[in-house]
Amino acid sequence: MTLQNVSNTFLVIALALYTLSFIGFVIAVAGSKWSNRDPENHKQKWGRLAFGVTVAGWLSQLVFFITRWIYAGHIPVSNMFEFMTFLGMMIMLAFIVFYLIYRKPVTGIFAVPAGIVILAYASVFPWDVQPLIPALNSHWLKIHVTLAAGGEAFFAIGFAAGLMYLLRTVDFQSNTKSARRERRGVEFTLYVVLVVVAFISLVFIFRAAGFEAVFLQEEIVETEEGETQVIEKEVRYTLPPIFKPYNSELVSMTPLYGLKGPLFETPSFFQGVGAGRKWNTFVLSTLAGLLLYGLLRLLLRKPIGAVIQPVLKDMDPDDLDEISYRSIAIGFPIFTLGALVFAMIWAHIAWSRFWGWDPKEVWALITWLFYSAYLHLRLSRGWHGKKSSWLAVIGFVIVMFTLIGVNLVIAGLHSYAGV
Amino acid sequence: MIENTKCECGHQNPVDTVLCEACGKPLVEIADKELLEMRYDGVARRSQRKNPNLLDRIWGFFSSVKVAVYLIIITLCVAMLGTLYPQENTFIGLDPAQYYEENHGTLGKIYYMLGFSRTYESWWFIGLLFLLGTSLVVCSLDRVIPLYRALKRQQVRKHTQFLERQKVVYKDKLFDAHDEKVKEREMEWLEQFANILRKKFYKVQVENSALMAEKYRFSRWGPYVIHIGLIIFLVAALLRTVIPGWYMDEYISIMEGDIKQIPGTNYYLKNEKFTVEFYEQDELSPAQREEGRIIPKLFETRAVLYECVRHCDDESLEEPVLIERLRHDIRVNEPLEYDGIMAYQFDYEFTPQLRSIRVELKDHTTGESFGFFDLETDNPAESYTVGPYELTLIHYYPDFGYENGKPVTKSSKPNAPAYVFSITGPGVEDGAVHMYFPRPEDKVRFAQDRINEAAGSPFLIEAAGMEDVEFALYTTFLNIRVDKGMPLVWVGAVIGMIGLVMGTYWQHRRIWVRFDEGQLLLGAHTNKNWYGLRQEIAKALAGLDIRIDPKSLINEVKRS
Amino acid sequence: MIMMKKNRRLIQVLILSTVVVITAITIAGNLFSEKDELPTEGSKAPNFALRTLDGGHHQLKDFEGHPVIINFWGTFCEPCVNEMPLIQSYYETYKDQGLVVLGINLNEAEATVRAFVREHGITFPILMDNDRIRRNYGVMYYPTTFFVGPDGVIQDIFIGELKDSTLSVRVNRLLSSNG
Repeated sequence: MTLQNVSNTFLVIALALYTLSFIGFVIAVAGSKWSNRDPENHKQKWGRLAFGVTVAGWLSQLVFFITRWIYAGHIPVSNMFEFMTFLGMMIMLAFIVFYLIYRKPVTGIFAVPAGIVILAYASVFPWDVQPLIPALNSHWLKIHVTLAAGGEAFFAIGFAAGLMYLLRTVDFQSNTKSARRERRGVEFTLYVVLVVVAFISLVFIFRAAGFEAVFLQEEIVETEEGETQVIEKEVRYTLPPIFKPYNSELVSMTPLYGLKGPLFETPSFFQGVGAGRKWNTFVLSTLAGLLLYGLLRLLLRKPIGAVIQPVLKDMDPDDLDEISYRSIAIGFPIFTLGALVFAMIWAHIAWSRFWGWDPKEVWALITWLFYSAYLHLRLSRGWHGKKSSWLAVIGFVIVMFTLIGVNLVIAGLHSYAGV
Repeated sequence: MIENTKCECGHQNPVDTVLCEACGKPLVEIADKELLEMRYDGVARRSQRKNPNLLDRIWGFFSSVKVAVYLIIITLCVAMLGTLYPQENTFIGLDPAQYYEENHGTLGKIYYMLGFSRTYESWWFIGLLFLLGTSLVVCSLDRVIPLYRALKRQQVRKHTQFLERQKVVYKDKLFDAHDEKVKEREMEWLEQFANILRKKFYKVQVENSALMAEKYRFSRWGPYVIHIGLIIFLVAALLRTVIPGWYMDEYISIMEGDIKQIPGTNYYLKNEKFTVEFYEQDELSPAQREEGRIIPKLFETRAVLYECVRHCDDESLEEPVLIERLRHDIRVNEPLEYDGIMAYQFDYEFTPQLRSIRVELKDHTTGESFGFFDLETDNPAESYTVGPYELTLIHYYPDFGYENGKPVTKSSKPNAPAYVFSITGPGVEDGAVHMYFPRPEDKVRFAQDRINEAAGSPFLIEAAGMEDVEFALYTTFLNIRVDKGMPLVWVGAVIGMIGLVMGTYWQHRRIWVRFDEGQLLLGAHTNKNWYGLRQEIAKALAGLDIRIDPKSLINEVKRS
Repeated sequence: MIMMKKNRRLIQVLILSTVVVITAITIAGNLFSEKDELPTEGSKAPNFALRTLDGGHHQLKDFEGHPVIINFWGTFCEPCVNEMPLIQSYYETYKDQGLVVLGINLNEAEATVRAFVREHGITFPILMDNDRIRRNYGVMYYPTTFFVGPDGVIQDIFIGELKDSTLSVRVNRLLSSNG
């Protein structure tokens, strides 16, 4: 077995342990209402066990990280797979830190899945070790990327606690306008999480099935001499095509129950590399998420939020509010240092300017501005509780767009981090 | 109407003060059972004044946090819009007016027409940043001075209402009011409590049956330090390109072996050698190998920096006198830096070019060698002595070709050099003309041998071998930067970071205790991490055998 | 109290006006950020000193009081080669009236230039530039010809091949401004 295999195995083990620890936390909280036991004692026992498994999972991931560093010869944060696994690791670390302070098993029910989803998302991307291009060959890669991910991990905990606060406080009985709006908001947030889950599941299901659809796309390009030329490009889909690439013909497709070919064509105004494929994946994930959400609703017969709420009964909303805020307050300086200050120093060394309004830079700034608005609203205008929790949720959406969306949709100088 | 702003404790407060600056008694009517608003300790902000004139209004506008947050949100949204489509500076050589319409349709056209294609250089975006900066300065000034004054003169014994309306409150009847020694017992208890708190790094004052403990007050200055840092950063970042002589951004291309002056300076750069390396197949990932990707490993310019010390200006006839100052291998991530000048590896081009060749003059028929001489391609010497012969270079075409049947040079680059010699010496007293093409393909293409035969040249000029040919393979493109504002930018960033850490990783905690006839009343305030404060107080109280659940410290007056 | 109020007002005015000034400077600087000033029509021709092909040297300053034609050219540039005989003939006609022609070669090998000059019978001074003066004059296209009056001010910049008609107008204007 090569070191690479060993390393990857440790990641799989970590993922499995995290899943176990999630189940452990659920039992710790839900099981406390089971008869024939002392609720506090049960919660403490299972909580401790689940936390132990979390730490074990984290150590296993640390082994993955270190071994990968050794055989890759550079810190494994240089492509999407590596960065996302690292972000997952940082989220788990931030959770561990907060658990040690507050010791609330309930937090595990939200923070651990956040880490798991990020890790699962990471594993969608190719696991291969890729050599470093000259632009990334710098000590600043370590400092910039790790600190930025560290800050973002705390934002993730802020998001999880904010969402918990909302789930805890949303009124599922009242019929006032604001209560209904809140319910819809919470359900939508949960739906978005389900879309991500659906996307990951789709990728793995169809990868396991070996699905592939190939298209030939005609593209008009301009040569250096200024003449236009039509070239044909092969486009591969690994998910069932609902939308084929703009101006393309299906060449071959793995037979799929009932589906003979693409149903629609991607509109021409989607631009950029793999626009058709990305759009198709987006639509498919949204639909699958909807399906998943519908199934859950059918199964549970009430809003998902209403199902989760009782789990949180023991949690003091003020504590959740404070966890969310503290997490963001801890993450903010780390993020500023890693994603802005050190990014600027590196950009000054590598790209000859400390700031160039590259989309990734702009989005890091947008994230920073958003969280500084959050802090101002909280500290000077007294936005606590609900308002502040919504901001924490929205803030993390911006973080995720900065990390993933920019690479998929906008690209720019940081495009090597994409796939 | 003149408002009475004098508190019952005798302190004269400024207009609009919420909490008495001395004893903390609320000065405005607060709904019953509500917690106190402790921001800025209830002091009057500077901008809040009666009968504002225009200046006051402007000042008031910028001093509002609400306005600041709006400005942040607007900046954020505009910055977002700027990333919708590529900015103009990301593509070179295309007409932006056409680019946006062709690539992004009508929306792109509108985007371009509205000026979003140059969002970040536009006057309105920079203006927005300055509004933000103004708000930063005014907001800070407006709050920091009153806050400073309020925190500087704090009374130890606070008003009961002040304490009862804190978020953390503890009440306990400790001593019997009828006890004769109640005052002494109170003081004794307070001294003990003070000692416990001192061990937790509190600064404690005890007087008049009351106690005030405070720690990490400096964290309250964090936000203002951040703002100072930000304003330095912002001004430095925006002004540095405007101040003459502070900023330079040039691109120069240097071929291997060439020296070029860095425009606008007395420095020269030589490209001794450019190296480009690619990863070997076995270093690539399987997917990359399959796709046949070529991944660069290294771009490096072996550079030498010279400074001109004499004959440097354009009016000087002499060759500039250069002194070597620095050798550095310029790579991506490893720029050359000297005297504020930075040279970055930016790009390269494969431009193979003959630099010089060592050739041999021979007798065409016998093959007898007369000797060797060197031919340059850049600026060849005009006469050579080889054995008994004198060679005069009568024509030199760096890029030989025919135009209307006449020999011409098509460019000044030695792409197809051709030399025409007039050779005099034994046997050729009147001079023989001989043409020489160093590149084998040119020899064939332009039929060198037939030309020489027709000219009646008895000679043969030949390169001795490949080792006698000197090539320049690459041209390196360097980005030359001077950015004298950078230190100031970094200073701003560092100050901002210090403020950020001060303000977020420490919390200003205050604990007040007062006794009224044996009745203990404790109130506490922090700017964040109430959980930690409650834990701390519960622990401190436990030290005096008062055992309580930290949660019970939460003031129950307002529980929604 | 009164003093404080005055001070406060002063500080407010000071801060707000500083902001306005800095904003104005930055925005103006960004809007009108012009690169190094290149010579244009109506500006003074920057001085230079260059070696001539035959080993001498010339400074632009030396010809103050004379109308000067500065022609940037190279043997590889066809229009430059085409217009050479025309410039030579104007030089011969008007040199007695004080007209100076300086041909600045675009960094070519001396052997190449010498052969060209010999073959085309060029008699006006040919100056050997190493790209420095070309850059200072902002010459991007060849040929480019500068017409400099006796006062050292650039009267006209012509880009492209000169024809008899275009050249005669400009030379006449140059000479008419000569005293």
